[in-house]
Formats: sequence, structure tokens, C-alpha cells
Amino acid sequence: MKKIKMLSLRTKCIGAIILMAATLSLILGFMSISVFQRNIDAEYMDKVTDLAETVSVAVDMGDTMRLKEAVQSIYDGIDNKVRSDMMGTPEYDAYIKNFEGIEKTRDFYSLQRELREILTVNEVQSVYIIYIDPVEKTCVYLVDASDEACPPGNADTLYEVNYRVLEDPEIGFPAYITNTPEYGWLVTAAAPIHDNNGEVIAYSLVDISMNHIMDVQMTFRRNLAVIMLTITVLISIIYIIAITKAVIKPINTLSDAALDYFGDEKANGNKNDQEAASGTGRPLRFSNISINTGDEIENLADAMKKMERDINDYIDNLTKVTAEKERIGAELNVATQIQADMLPRIFPPFPDRNEFDIYATMDPAKEVGGDFYDFFLIDEDHMGLVMADVSGKGVPAALFMVIAKTLIKNRALMNGSPSEVLAYANDQLCEGNEAELFVTVWFAIFEISTGKGMAANAGHEHPVIKRKDGDFELVVYRHSPAVATMEGIKFKEHEFELHPGDTLFVYTDGVAEATNASNELFGTERMLEALNKDKDAPAEQLLKNVKEAIDDFVGEAPQFDDITMLGFKYFGKS
Amino acid sequence: MKITQNKEGSKLNIALEGRLDTTTAPELENELKTALDGVDDLVFDLKELAYISSAGLRVLLSAQKIMNKQGKMVITGANEEIMEIFDVTGFVDILTIE
Repeated sequence: MKKIKMLSLRTKCIGAIILMAATLSLILGFMSISVFQRNIDAEYMDKVTDLAETVSVAVDMGDTMRLKEAVQSIYDGIDNKVRSDMMGTPEYDAYIKNFEGIEKTRDFYSLQRELREILTVNEVQSVYIIYIDPVEKTCVYLVDASDEACPPGNADTLYEVNYRVLEDPEIGFPAYITNTPEYGWLVTAAAPIHDNNGEVIAYSLVDISMNHIMDVQMTFRRNLAVIMLTITVLISIIYIIAITKAVIKPINTLSDAALDYFGDEKANGNKNDQEAASGTGRPLRFSNISINTGDEIENLADAMKKMERDINDYIDNLTKVTAEKERIGAELNVATQIQADMLPRIFPPFPDRNEFDIYATMDPAKEVGGDFYDFFLIDEDHMGLVMADVSGKGVPAALFMVIAKTLIKNRALMNGSPSEVLAYANDQLCEGNEAELFVTVWFAIFEISTGKGMAANAGHEHPVIKRKDGDFELVVYRHSPAVATMEGIKFKEHEFELHPGDTLFVYTDGVAEATNASNELFGTERMLEALNKDKDAPAEQLLKNVKEAIDDFVGEAPQFDDITMLGFKYFGKS
Repeated sequence: MKITQNKEGSKLNIALEGRLDTTTAPELENELKTALDGVDDLVFDLKELAYISSAGLRVLLSAQKIMNKQGKMVITGANEEIMEIFDVTGFVDILTIE
């Protein structure tokens, strides 16, 4: 593509230059030739007219009158007049024979001598005297002083250009130029010869050959053509060199630099990336170009240089931002991993305990979530169960979650009622809680030997319990405010008891508030339905059933909130 | 979500309409940043509020904390569902609901 385009620009320029130079040369040439020719023609016409007039005055009028009468009387007596275009035929010869005696007359001889003198002195082609027969429209020769003279009585057809002489005999033949194969280029003029009464009796004619001047003219044309051609070629070459230097070369340089810019990027991509990352900048392709044409192309080059610097700055900036993003992304992945590792994820967690079956899951909506669950043995007979949801999402929520989880577990391991544990966590979290995050918590301490439990619900979802032969049902009671809302809150406690075969299910609002494409909530009804579908299934299966029901319900809609669940089946002492 | 503010002297009435959830709560939070200056009597009119999520509750809680320092804050017109959310979350103990 590139090659063709460059060729095209060069070709266009060269074509235009040659066309222009050739046109100029042709116009100049034609003008020179036509001016030259017109001047020459005019000069020759003047000369021939002057000469014809000179002859008309110089010849002896009496001789002319007598000769005319002699020729005219013979001419008028001939019925079958044969014109000079029949020359060489027997008819013509027979016709001319009638005038045989004329050439022997004194008048003819003396006129012929006079004309010969003029001819010799003036170096003209021919000088002769004729009279015009207006009826036949012929020029009848009286005497001719040319080398190849026409005999008297020879009748030429009057050219149409000279018909005006029939109306006004004084005009004669104004000078005209002919080109015949017989004589070549001739310029001819005729001037009237008058008798004593001022009547026109005959015409003196002069022919001047222009063959020589025509040759000169041809040479002139040839030379002119050669000179013009040379000038055209020279001008074209100079212009092509100039344009190549001033336009095509700079443009090609810019074009090569532009191609190089990313061509080299690809070739040594890794190296350049490193350069850019280390802040040394990428190589400057345009800035090293020196274009000093002082015109728009230099402006273009300057603009390209600026563009290159801007692009380089932009790329460097972008590279930094991208690297930063990648770093943050990588760190978020680590954070997600750390958060996931904080939640007990190995099931069964207590393989030697067969009094219960526990299973829990968390699916974060963003990379790191604000939900968490926890379970731990406080002593041989007491177990702590936690289900919590930090308000908000993302990194802030996750950080808050880490603190909340740690505080609750640590405080619970130091013994104390759920109310005391949450009150402690609440007071700790309220200190300097500028972000004003809070966390809803369901926290229970369960006595494994008896099945008796004590729970505190700090603004969390209603727990679900299934009695041995019943269905899963919500356990609704009034909750305390969420943890970290306000300092000094007292958390109400709620006693409960599980019998062998009972199941406890706690969850976060991500379950009840999962939303489908038409903005409907999944709701606790659908959740209970999913649980009751296979209500005696192991805890793991129960959670799977709920998750599947949510996925079916939500379809393609994005997940807005973390989805966290914990199932606990109590078997009692075996 | 539509937020309508109505201020008379140092008394401010804010009417909320629609859903106050994760996506709309930041909007209300932004408005409150400036709206609460010099207010000593704040009323939230929740007649037209259809739903409130934990993010929405957080904004109400922030407002309550600010108003604890400079005056009082009252919630009015909460419908049954919103009341239930306040109940369940224990916010009835923190907020003044009429």
C-alpha cells in the first residue's frame, strides 16, 4: 500500500510538471513561429507590391500599348481559346502558334529586355506583363522575362482571390502567397499600367520566390523545437529534484517514522515496555527528524513531533496506571484469598465429633465481601456459631469484617454470654469508626451435650429451624441493633433448644434479597421452599439446594450481594 | 429513588421515595453531607419509601449520629415493611420513630 501511494504522489508531480512545461513550450513555440512568419510574409508582400508598382511605371507605355493591341487582336480572333492548364498538349501548342509573330516584334523585344534588367537587378523569380480578359476571366500574357518564360498569348485562369480587379481595375492584384509543386512558394503582386488618359491597359506582375525563406523558417522551427524540448526537460528535472527534496522526501521521512513507531514497538516490545516502566521513555522517532522546508511540511513535522511526545507521555502514563491497576488487582486477589482462608472451610471441621453436622459457604459479589460466618469450639461442650454481614461492600467492608470476626471469636473464647461478646465487639468497633460501617450479627453459643443454646441477634436475618418431623420455619423475634451502630448498646439474648434430628439454618440478606432481571426479590418464602424440598438432606446438600434455587431464580442478572449460608444438623449424644 | 428536601429555618424535612439500597444510598449520603449544616430538627418522611437495605440503614444511622450532636431526628410515615426492617434490625432502639 505504502509503496504504491508514494509512487503515486511522485508520478502525479512529475506528470503535472512535464505537462506544464510542455504546454508552455508549445505556446511559446507557436507564438514565435507565427510572429516570425507573419513578419516575413508582410515584408515579402510589401517588397513584391513595391516592385510591381515600380515595373508598372518603369516600362515603356507606348511599347506596352502596341504589344497589347497586337496580342489582343490575335487573341480575340481565336475562337478556340486554350488556357495554360492544357500546356504540353497539341491543342495548346496549336493555339500558341497563332502568336508566333509577336516575339519577333520590336515592342516585345524592347519590353522583354527592360523586364530582364529589372529581374536581374532585383533577383526575383519572374517579371511579366499581362492584360485581363474580363469575359473569359483570364490573364493573357504580353511579355515574360522569366528563365522559363511563358509565350505571349498564354492565358492563365484568373484566380478567384483576384476577382475584385474586374470591378476596380486600379486595385491590381494585392500581394498573395501560393505554393505550387511547379514553382514552390511564391509571393505575387500586380500593379496596373495606365495609358496617357489614365486608363488601365495592362498589369505588371512580379513573382518572388519564398522557397529560401521557407527553408530558413523550417530550420528555425526545428531549432526552436529542439530548444523548447531541452528547456522542458531541464525545467522538469529541476522541478522534480526540487519537489522531491521539498515535498516527497520529507513526507516519506515522516511516513517511515510513523511506520517505524509501532513497527519497532512490536519488534522490541519487551525492551520498550521495560524502558517505559522504568521511566526512561520510549525512543523518539520523529524528534530526530530534521525537516527545514520552512513551510506547511515543517509545521506538519513539528506537529508530529509534539504528537509523539504527547503519545509517549500518554503511553508512559497509561503503562503506569495499568501497572498500578494490575498491582491492585493482584493484591485484591491475595486479599480475597486471605479472606477466604479466614473462614473455616475444611469440612467436616471436627471429624471426631459425631453429635452434629455443620456446613457453610460464602459467595462474594465482588472480589472481597463483607459477609462472614464462623464456628469454633469454646470448650469441649460449647460451640460458637456466627453469621454476619457488614454494611457496604468491597475492601472497606472486608477490612471491617476481618476486625469484627477477630473481635467476636477472641472475646467468645474468653468465655461470656453472646450479649457480652457482642457488647464488647460493639464498643471496640465504635471507636474511631469514621466510615460509619456496621455489621449485623447472629451469634449463638450452643451446648453440645444438652442441645441448649443462647443467641443474640444484632439486626441480622431471622434464623430458620426445622424440628425433627417438621418443616423449615423462620424463628421470628425482635432483634437488637446492629453491631457498631452506637456505643453502649445492650444486646438482648434469646434462648433456644435443639433436639436430636433438628436442623438450624442461618444466612445473610444476600439470600433473601437476591434479585432477578425483573427486580423481584428471592425472598424467604422461596428460601424455605428450597430448604424443604429435601429437608432431611445433609447440611451440605441443603445449602446446595438453596444456592441452586437462587441461581435458577436470578438467571442472568448480576449478583449484587454476598451470599452466605450456614447449616447445622444436631444429632445429640449417640 | 427521589429525594425531596424542604427546609424551614433550622427545621429540615426530607421525603424519600422509592428504594433506598446499595445503588441509591450514596446519593442520599452526598446530599446529607451539606444539608444538615445548622439543622436542629430533622424529619425523614418515609411514606413513599418502598424498601430499605443495610446500606440505606447505614445512611440513616450516620444522620442520627450527627443529629445526636446538634438536635433531634425523627422518622415518620414508615410503612409496615419498612417498620419490620427497623424492627428486625433493631433500629427501633436507635431511631426515634413516630
